[in-house]
Formats: sequence, C-alpha cells, structure tokens
Amino acid sequence: MSKGQEKDIGSREQFEERVKQLGLSDDTLIGVYRTMCTVRHFEYMADKLYAAGKVHGTMHLSAGQEAVAAGISMAVCPDDYLINHHRGHGHFIAKGADINLMMAEFLGKDTGYNHGRGGSMHIADFQSNNLGANGIVGGGIPQAVGVGLALKMQKRKEICVCIFGDGAANEGVFHEAMNMVALWKLPVLYVCENNKYGMSMDVERASAKLPLAQRADAYGIPWACVDGNDVVEVYDAMKTAVEHIRSGNGPYFVEAITYRYFGHSKSDRNLYRPKEEIEDWKQNRDPIMRFTKHLLQSEILDEGQAQEIDAQAEQVIVKAVEFAEASPEPDVSTLMEYVYA
Amino acid sequence: MPVPFIMPKFDMDQEKATIISWCKKEGDFVKFEESVLTVETEKVAIDVPAPATGTLAGILYKDGDEVPVTKVIAYILKEGESLGDLPNASLPTPPSKPQVAPVSQLVPAPQIASVTATPIAIRMAKEEGVDLSKVPASGDRITREDVESYIASQKTAGRVTVPATPAARRVARESGIPLETVAGSGPRGRVQSVDVLSAAKPVPAGSPTAQVNGREAEIVPLTSIRRTIAERMQKSFQESPHIALTVEVDMKEAENVRKRFNMQAEKLGQPKITVTALMIKVVAWALVRNPYINASFNGDSISLWKDVNIGVATAVSQGLVVPVLKGADHLGVSEINMQLIALAERARENKLKLDDVQGGTFTISNLGMFGIRQFRAVINPPESAILAVGSVVRKPVVVDEQDRVEVRPMTSLTISADHRVIDGIVAARFLSDLVIGLESPSMLLY
Amino acid sequence: MPEITYLEAIRQALWQEMKRDERVFLLGEDIGRYGGAFGLTHGMLDEFGEERVLETPISEATIVATAIGAALLGMRPVAELMFMDFVLLSLDQLANQAAKMHFMFGGRATVPMVVRMPGGSGSGAASQHSQSLESVLMQFPGLIVVNPSTPYDAKGLMLSAIRNPNPVCFVEHKVLYKTKGEVPEGDYTIPIGVAEIKRPGRDITVVANNVMVMKTLNVAEKLSKEGIEVEVIDPRTLLPLDTEAILKSVARTGRLLVVHEACQTGGWAGEVIASVVGSPVFDYIDAPVRRLAGKDIPIPYNRGLEKSAIPQEADIEQEIRALVEGRI
Repeated sequence: MSKGQEKDIGSREQFEERVKQLGLSDDTLIGVYRTMCTVRHFEYMADKLYAAGKVHGTMHLSAGQEAVAAGISMAVCPDDYLINHHRGHGHFIAKGADINLMMAEFLGKDTGYNHGRGGSMHIADFQSNNLGANGIVGGGIPQAVGVGLALKMQKRKEICVCIFGDGAANEGVFHEAMNMVALWKLPVLYVCENNKYGMSMDVERASAKLPLAQRADAYGIPWACVDGNDVVEVYDAMKTAVEHIRSGNGPYFVEAITYRYFGHSKSDRNLYRPKEEIEDWKQNRDPIMRFTKHLLQSEILDEGQAQEIDAQAEQVIVKAVEFAEASPEPDVSTLMEYVYA
Repeated sequence: MPVPFIMPKFDMDQEKATIISWCKKEGDFVKFEESVLTVETEKVAIDVPAPATGTLAGILYKDGDEVPVTKVIAYILKEGESLGDLPNASLPTPPSKPQVAPVSQLVPAPQIASVTATPIAIRMAKEEGVDLSKVPASGDRITREDVESYIASQKTAGRVTVPATPAARRVARESGIPLETVAGSGPRGRVQSVDVLSAAKPVPAGSPTAQVNGREAEIVPLTSIRRTIAERMQKSFQESPHIALTVEVDMKEAENVRKRFNMQAEKLGQPKITVTALMIKVVAWALVRNPYINASFNGDSISLWKDVNIGVATAVSQGLVVPVLKGADHLGVSEINMQLIALAERARENKLKLDDVQGGTFTISNLGMFGIRQFRAVINPPESAILAVGSVVRKPVVVDEQDRVEVRPMTSLTISADHRVIDGIVAARFLSDLVIGLESPSMLLY
Repeated sequence: MPEITYLEAIRQALWQEMKRDERVFLLGEDIGRYGGAFGLTHGMLDEFGEERVLETPISEATIVATAIGAALLGMRPVAELMFMDFVLLSLDQLANQAAKMHFMFGGRATVPMVVRMPGGSGSGAASQHSQSLESVLMQFPGLIVVNPSTPYDAKGLMLSAIRNPNPVCFVEHKVLYKTKGEVPEGDYTIPIGVAEIKRPGRDITVVANNVMVMKTLNVAEKLSKEGIEVEVIDPRTLLPLDTEAILKSVARTGRLLVVHEACQTGGWAGEVIASVVGSPVFDYIDAPVRRLAGKDIPIPYNRGLEKSAIPQEADIEQEIRALVEGRI
C-alpha cells in the first residue's frame, strides 16, 4: 500500500491533448464534473439520513467511485440499457435518473421509483431503460445475455451495459454468461467495478489471477483494465468498448479499479482495511479532486465556478430530500399489489 | 378466605351436573358435609355436601342451571368473614358495556392486588393469564400449587370428550341435538354427521312446540336420565343381537320358603321378604354356574365378571333407575332383601349415590306387580343379558307323571341375551338352572 | 377431435404460438438438432431456424436469466430445463430474480416468460432426475406454477402460459408424455389459476396433480361400480392455487384426500389441507382430512423401490375406501 503519495495527474498539456483527441468539449467536461458532485452529495446525504434514523433498511454507498459511473455515462447513449449492481446510486444518477424519485425510493415512499417496494438496493427506471439494481451478487450478469439477445433479435442499435463488482466475478454465472454472450456475439458491455473488496474480502485474496478482466480472454472477449478514478481514462476505455459493440462485434469487458470510502453497508466497521488505506485513497486519489484539478489547471473552470456547481449539486440533493420527506408512505392497503402483472 | 364451594365431579367421564334444588339458601348456616343442594348427573340425582362449616354465600347458580364440574357454585364464609371477603367474580356483575374495551383495560394486573397470593403465584398467574381471584386458596394465601391445580382443573373442565367430526358438530348445533346423546358410528365411536342426522330424524328439529306433525302435543324436554336411557337402549338394541328364551316356573316351593322366612322376619321385626329378593338369590347362584351370562362384550374379547352385581330395574317418577346389588352371590336372602328395600327407597327419594347405580353385571326387571304375564326386556349395556319376570298366576298344571293336575302359582321368566356372547344353549342352561333353583329353593338356601 | 399425446400437445402449442407471435422463441439444451431430450421440440429447428430455436450451452442459470433479460425487453421466451431437477441450478434467477421483479420494481417491470421442466419419477432416472419440485416453486410469490395432467390441458395451459405477463413454471411429467387424449387443432386457452373437476362425485374430494390425476381417475372409475363416488379435482395451476374450487367441493363431499408425488413433508398437500381446515368449510368436514404423498426419500433407481416411493393406485384406493367407510 502506497503511503501518502498524491497521485500525479500529469501536465496540463497532456490532459488537453487527450481531451482533444477524445473530442470532449468544455461543456461535456463541466457536465461530468456536475454529475460526479451530485453523486458524491447524494451518497453523503444518504449517510446523513441514515444516521438521522430516516432510512429503514441498509444501503451501499459509492462515494469514491464516481468516475466509473460518470465515465460510462459519457460513452453510452441515453437509450442504452443498464443492468446494475447493488451499489448503484451513482450509475443511476449518471444515467440521468430523477433524483427526487430516487431519494423518495431510498426513504421508502410511494412516490419513489419502486413505490417503496425496493429501496436503495433495487432502484430501477424502466422508462429510461434502467433495468434495475440487483441485490444478488452477480444476479444481473446472466440477465444481460437475455437483454443483449433481445436487442439482437429485435435488430436494435442499443447496447446493454452490465455493471458488477469484483466479488461478482467469482460467481458461477459470471462464467456461464461470459461464454454465452461471446458465443452469440451479443451487444453487451460488461463493466467490472473493482473497488478492491467484496464486502470484506480483498480481491487479491479472493481471485486467483488478476486483473479480473483478463478472464475475458478465456471467452475471446476483448478487454481493458483502467484506473477507475480517472474519469477521462474510464471514458476512453468505454468509448472504445461501445464502438466495438455497436459495430456488431459482440461483447466487451472493462475493469475499472476504484475504491469505496464508506463501509460495504451500514453495519460495516471497516475491520478488514486500515484507516490509512482509506485516507490515502481519499487524500491522494479521489476522482473528483483529480478531475477538479484538471479543470482548474486547464482553466475550464475557476475555483468559484467549481464551488458554485458543487453547491448547486448539493441543492439538488437537499431539494430531493424535501420532496421525499413530503411524499406519502405507500398505503398498507396496497400491500398485495404488484405481485403479479 | 371464604371457602369456595365447587360443583363436585362424581364420575370419571362426567363434565357437568344440573342443579335440581338448593336445600339451603343464601345466608344459611351449614355444617361440614351437610347436604346443601341436590344435583342430577346423567346417571343419578345426588346430594352435595358442604365443603366446610360456615355461612352459605355468593350463590352463583340457581335451580335448573347446568354447571360444569369443578366450577365454583358458591362460597362458605367462615366466622368473622362477610360478603365483602368474596372474590370479585362472585359479586353481582354490572351490565356489560357494549363498546370495545381499550387494550389497556384488558391487562389484568390491577385485579391481582386485591387477592392475597405468594409472589410466585402472582407471577405464574400473570404468565398463564389466570385471573387470581378465581383461584381457590388451599391455605391463607394462594400458592403456586393452587394456581397449578386451578389451571389443571380448567383444562379438564374445558375438554370436549365426545369425539365427533366438525361436520357432525355443525349438524348437531344446527339441529339442537346434544352430541353426547348421539351414538357415533365412526372409528372409536366418533360421531359423524350421518349419526346426528339419523338421530335427528325421529324428533323434528327446532324449538319445542305444541305442534308435532300438525297435531297438538305437549313437548317434554329430555331430562338427563331420560336422554341416557334413550341413548343406551337404542345403542343396545342396535348393537347387540338380542335372543329371547322363556320358561315357566312353578313357584309353589319358593312361596313356601318365603312364607317361612316371613314368619321368622315377623318375629324379628324385620321387613317381609319379597319375591324379588328370593329371585335375586337364585339368579346369583345361577350366574355363578353360568359365567357367560355374567359377562360383557368388548369387541375383541369378552369379560367374564368375577363379581355378581345384580341390577334391579326400579320405576321412579322421572323414568327408570337400576340400583345395583353388589356381590349378590355372597349375600343371604334377608341381607338381599334389606339392601333391596334401602336401594328402592333411595331411588324413590332421588337420593341414589353414584356407587348405587354402577358396576352391574346382570339385570332383573319385574313387571309382575302390574299383571304382566310375560315380556322381553332390552339388555342394559355393557351387560350381556337381562331377565324379565312376569306375574305369578295361579293356574292348573300337570304336576306328575300320572298327569295329575293341580293349581300352582306359576310365573314366566324370559331372558334376553346378547347373542354375540351367549349361545342359545347357554341361555337355556341358565334358565333351567333358574327353574331348579326356584322350584327347589331349599337346596340352595339351607 | 384428433387424439395426440401430451408431448405432441405441448409441441403443437409451441409451434402454433411461434407462428402466431414472432416474439416467441425457444431456448434450452439440446432442443435443436437433437429435438430435446424427450423429443418435444423435434422438427422445430427446421421450421423456425436457429434464431428462434436457440441451443444453449449447459448453463441452466443463464438459460433462465437469458429468458428474463429477453422478457424484460418484450420478448416471449420459452426456456426448457431438460429435467425439473435442474431448476435448482437456476433457482436464483427464477426465485430471486424473475419472481420478484414486478413487485420489487414497483410494478414497472414485467417478465413474460415460460420455463418448461419435466419432473416426476417412473422412468428409472433415479434421485437427481426424478424429483417433483412443484411445492418448492410454490414458495415464490410472483411465479406461476402450472401443472397439466392431460394433453388437452397441456396445450391450453401452454398457450395461456406464453401469453401471461408473469414468469410461468410449466411443470410437465415424464410419464405423461406418452398419454393420449383429444386435443383441438385450433387455438384455445385454459385459464391460469382455475382448477377443474375432472370427475364429479358426492362421497369424497380427491385433489391430485399431474400423473396422480390419471391414477385417481382410474381408482374413481373402479369404486364407482361399488357405489363410491369420488370427486377428482385437478388444480392445474398450483400457484396461485384455486382454493375456492377445492373448498366448494369439500363442502359438498365432507371428505378430503390430497394426492401428490412430491415428498410429503412440506408438500403442497399441506397447503391445501390447511386452507380447507382453516376455512368455514371446516364445519363440513366429516372425516379426517388426509394426504397421500411421495415418501420423504430421494427417488430410488430400482423399479420396485421407485414404485413404492410414490402413491400408486392401490394406495389411493385403500385410502379412499378407509375414509369413505369411516375406518380412519
């Protein structure tokens, strides 16, 4: 574990050259910054609400992993499908979900995306092709095969993005699905969001050979392993992957190395990782901090503007909490609804 | 603490008793074991003695009430105690309020304070949901043992002993037929709906009415005794295949013997010997010689009883009771006579004890006093035979081989026997023994 | 009406529905060239092509998951699990995923899919290929479990199952595949969740599923000659269960026997009995309410042992007689 070394973000010229190559406009970059701030505020607010006793169940927060969610959303189209894992708030926000409805669902309200039936772990928005987060580790991986199959059968241009964690890569269905998705050349982008720990299990103790992404070789799927805390690098990899898939070449596999700041869930006391490690990631590799530095360095934003965007993002979250708290609870008389269509 | 006066349990399978009458009233002084009230079970009317000496108070049931056994029916106040010492339950209850009680009122805790009880008893009562005021104390305070025995008694009291299917229970409820009166045809006597339906047929369902099939009638509700008779007789007649054999007996010698006995009795100031007493003596002798007549059928076996307990069907105002003369084979005629008289008296006064009517192994029914010459009786289960005795009639009979005719006191004896246990020839042998015994009584009397 | 087998009836339903609705496709192991382990999909690859008859690797969980994903996008997949026993390999996808999606996502997702699975013993396939797991599947609200006992029901229920917006477990029985019955050539459906009185009778209600329906009907026919009239009810759908029909029948007959091949402990007979005993029909019960189920053992290989492991006609007859004659 590296100690107290701030990650070198590289020179202004390097960044600008890269952004130019990738064709990213200033507006796009500012938008990405706004998205990452929104995610961060959502997660910290969630933690606050939890501490205030306003959350009934558990939650899995993605603070620290914002660049992966933002990087994917930059590379895909709004109509592309998303199958997500249980640490999914960031991906949904990045996909453009209504923060009010997310927050309402988080607080179990009837106005929430799932009418209070799902909570934090199962937010889904079928209207925006967000097929939901899965509470079973790896549960969504094989379903992406079906989504990809349907897209192929229906001769559509959309692709399916399936995000899962490093822990899910060790589920049996991972291998079944990789095989089948490659066999049938389906339009699926698998993203392994490797935040180092499957609950408490270090990825190095859980997986025989790293990086996880090289497992794709076994199925003939092209892959990349990137710094998941560098949003531009994430975007770069995703862009390549999406182009590959949309051209009809079949699936692609990207592993993004990142880190979560909060525990696995609320009951986590972080006994399995040293405080210094968490602090190191927070102080030296934070994705938002790194990206902000680039934006300031390249004078895309000044400090005041950056702070203003951040404050605006926070306001969105505060408003969402107001909306959620003012929303009605689901009526108990509707308990038996939604079991069967 | 006032002594609780509970409805005693007299019989093993008894669940309740009906109060016929209170001989003492509220406020009367009663002595320990003095009769306080008369109750009627399915089998007998019986006096209930006071459980303690003191003042009768807090009577909870009136004449005619049917009370489950072990229920408190009143209290005995000891010296120095007043009505105020009675547990809450026995005080006049205020009219029940129609509205639903709030949950807080359902918590029984406040009542407990008024009862003296050990802490363990209080805790246990709370845990088991027992109202302590209903628990009789064995000593000064209610103890854990008191609560335990109260719980046990409640369990017994609430148990339904008639096995019946839910459908049978429903039909019984709807047709107003008490399940206890229905013979079950199912396994282990389980009452099935068809049993209740067929029991319901003869008597139209519904409340008593003066119209039966459009004709005027007085509707008499069944007393427990009548119901029991009805049930037993029907069951007996349906279940045991009856055979009947009749013989004529010359009672000349028996009458002579009776005369001699009576002369002696007169001298001793004893009551006269009845024909029945003599008959019982002979029957007891014959039963010992014919064990299959003194028997019960068990389905897969037969009990040949060691005791000879002879029931004598006796008419009383409400119907028929059968007091039993125990160990008749070991008694002399005078003793049989004395016991018979005592039993008949108790029966007429409705004072038979449960023991008086239990344990019969054979029954004699005598309708001779009504001029009935000969009849067949229905076996009284679980016995296997019953003897029907007709009137003694003086008539000419051939008395010897020279065809000499004489007028003799003749009677006829008819045995009804359960053919599952008793073959015709066994019954015949028994009858012929009776003839020998009655025609030569001195043979077994001296 | 033409007489065809149970297997042919299911194939006919699939065939006709694939002709009618291009969203319908099949997927499963060996369903193409091989024609399915029991030959059920024989000829369908030639007719519909590889795009609609998808032969999959041996990956049961992903077969079911693929159906889920496709169903979420509006397709009408019909997946085949070669043996019902293999449903356990895909149970996460079926029970944790498909069954819960509509509910968990607040009614915003529908998963119109069918998973076919032949279950049951009688073919000497031993412990891992002979189970009747329908009671297990009944523990997952959101799933529909159908269970046809005749060729007629099989076709009508299959058409209903494919058109239903929910995930349907279509439980077939290996022994029934060769049984024949009249099946209309045209399109007809049998409503899901509706039981059928396969034979009316006044003396006792026997609720039975799949192969046990056939066995009970044979017994009922025999007993009828002696004046014992058995009412045979086939729930056809086990989840949701048509309790109403069973209650009505028991209210008439006063006696109930439930017969199934699934293991007794935790089997659905207990569910039926509890529904009856706890309802107002309790007051019409005139004999002990009984069940006759598979023994609580894995299905053995040996023919005699295998037979003894599940209720046979003689057992059903004996049980009915004892109940009707009041001997239990």
